[in-house]
Amino acid sequence: MRLNPPDAYWKKDAVLFFSKRLALFVKMLYPVALIVPVAASDIPAQYAAAVVGIVAVMAGTFGAGESLTVDLNDGILVRVALTPLSPRRIVFEILAVNAFLDFIQLLPALLIVYVLHPAPLVWVLAATFGVFATLVTANCIGIFIANFTSSPADVLLYATAILAPLIYLSGFFRNTNPTGLLAALRGFVPFAYMNDALKAVFGLDVQSAPFEVFVYPSIIAAVLVFGVCLTAPRLLSPR
Amino acid sequence: MLCAQRITRLYETSGRGVSEVSLEIQPGEVFGLLGPNGSGKSTLLRVLSTAIAPDSGTFRVGYADGFQEKREVRAKIGLMVDRPTHYGDLTGWANAYFFARAYGVEEGKADGVLAELFDYFGLAEYKDEKVKTYSYGMGKKLALIEAMAHGPELLLLDEPSLGLDYTSQLAYQKKIREFASAGVAIFVASNQVDEVEGLCDRVAFLHRGRLVAQGTPEALISSLRTLRRIVARLHNPIEYAFLEKTPGVERAVPEGRDLVVHCVERPGIVADVVAGIVRCGGDIVSLSVERPNLEDVYVKLTGEALHDDEA
Repeated sequence: MRLNPPDAYWKKDAVLFFSKRLALFVKMLYPVALIVPVAASDIPAQYAAAVVGIVAVMAGTFGAGESLTVDLNDGILVRVALTPLSPRRIVFEILAVNAFLDFIQLLPALLIVYVLHPAPLVWVLAATFGVFATLVTANCIGIFIANFTSSPADVLLYATAILAPLIYLSGFFRNTNPTGLLAALRGFVPFAYMNDALKAVFGLDVQSAPFEVFVYPSIIAAVLVFGVCLTAPRLLSPR
Repeated sequence: MLCAQRITRLYETSGRGVSEVSLEIQPGEVFGLLGPNGSGKSTLLRVLSTAIAPDSGTFRVGYADGFQEKREVRAKIGLMVDRPTHYGDLTGWANAYFFARAYGVEEGKADGVLAELFDYFGLAEYKDEKVKTYSYGMGKKLALIEAMAHGPELLLLDEPSLGLDYTSQLAYQKKIREFASAGVAIFVASNQVDEVEGLCDRVAFLHRGRLVAQGTPEALISSLRTLRRIVARLHNPIEYAFLEKTPGVERAVPEGRDLVVHCVERPGIVADVVAGIVRCGGDIVSLSVERPNLEDVYVKLTGEALHDDEA
């Protein structure tokens, strides 16, 4: 299978990702620069896990939302949408490739975390999967936002408005031991499961079992992916 | 091949767009749509390319319904929008390959088809350069390649030759004729009168969103056989309304740096027009008397020029 020249949308994004060397270096470096110093410090484990989680959430949301609005403003995405490709397939490929490339960016930093904080394999796998599910969810949010604005700056604004309550519910910093409605709502946010898995990697006892980190975020992310793909005709229409 | 019935699409913000437009294009026919900027050409193309839905009306491409079977319609169309965009960080070849494959060109055939078109349009030596280094004209040629590579049944081209150098324009027109000979229906939206007159089998005029006339270029122009067209290139802009009071002058319209005067045939009319221009303060650089063209037909039908530049 060859990537270049690209014969699918996801290959096009992958080629662009790997073709700009300086940008690639920066993209690969910044998660390491943010996460590794925190992981190597004696900061409380809860906050170390929160930093990793925040980087994943931000990378996913802003990455997809901003690149999508730039392509929409250029008009190139609308042009692509006028090919016989299914709009839903285009949006799915945008989502999948962005989540995967974001994951590649975060993977070196995660591996260093696992080296610095040896943890049971099941939690390592759960944390890695939790990060991926978070990236899928965050990319869904970014793409959803792109339905309502063609301005990359607005993406930042809207994303902050959406992410702030989700981060609160997930228990990154506050709401760490929720009860009642907050606990119920927390169960619907994939970030929460990633946070639990990362806390376990950093040595804390957590509410979730490893299988929950694999199962529930998968279901929630699948529903979100389906929902975002349904917005494709609107998203890819001329603005 | 293309059959559009009473297409209406008006923008809420400006009230502009197209209204009650009906047209048909047969396989092998080159159909030109002439109209000034803002007349609705691009809006009509957007509807016909399935980019936007009309407020009312229907259209079919072949047997595929433009609203119910969008993907089938898109597969039949080769599209070039008025301001082509590409992935600037990809090479020209990668852009063209991506679109060719998106339109279903098989992997084994794509290389051959694209190589032929890149060579034909003189882009072969630039194919491995990033598109962001391309000139505007090269970008237009790349867009033409992307529109043609999959062998469409209908070509929708918006201002295709704008920005092309003379040699590329000739190459493009020759390729259009080849496609037409092969049975492809071609729709060219433009305000380049010479191009449309020379290239198109049939022409329609769009004025403020409505079709005001359509027919062969010869038939449309023959309706003006008693008209003379005096083209004066001027050093300076003038207030030309007074000129229209000259006996025999029907109207005067600016076209770029030229002032075009439509008048009836009678002895001494050229001298009277020259005198009128001089009386208006015009400093004539050159003067020619020409046969009427499609632009004159448009002016006669609408009272407005295709180009809105001031003389």
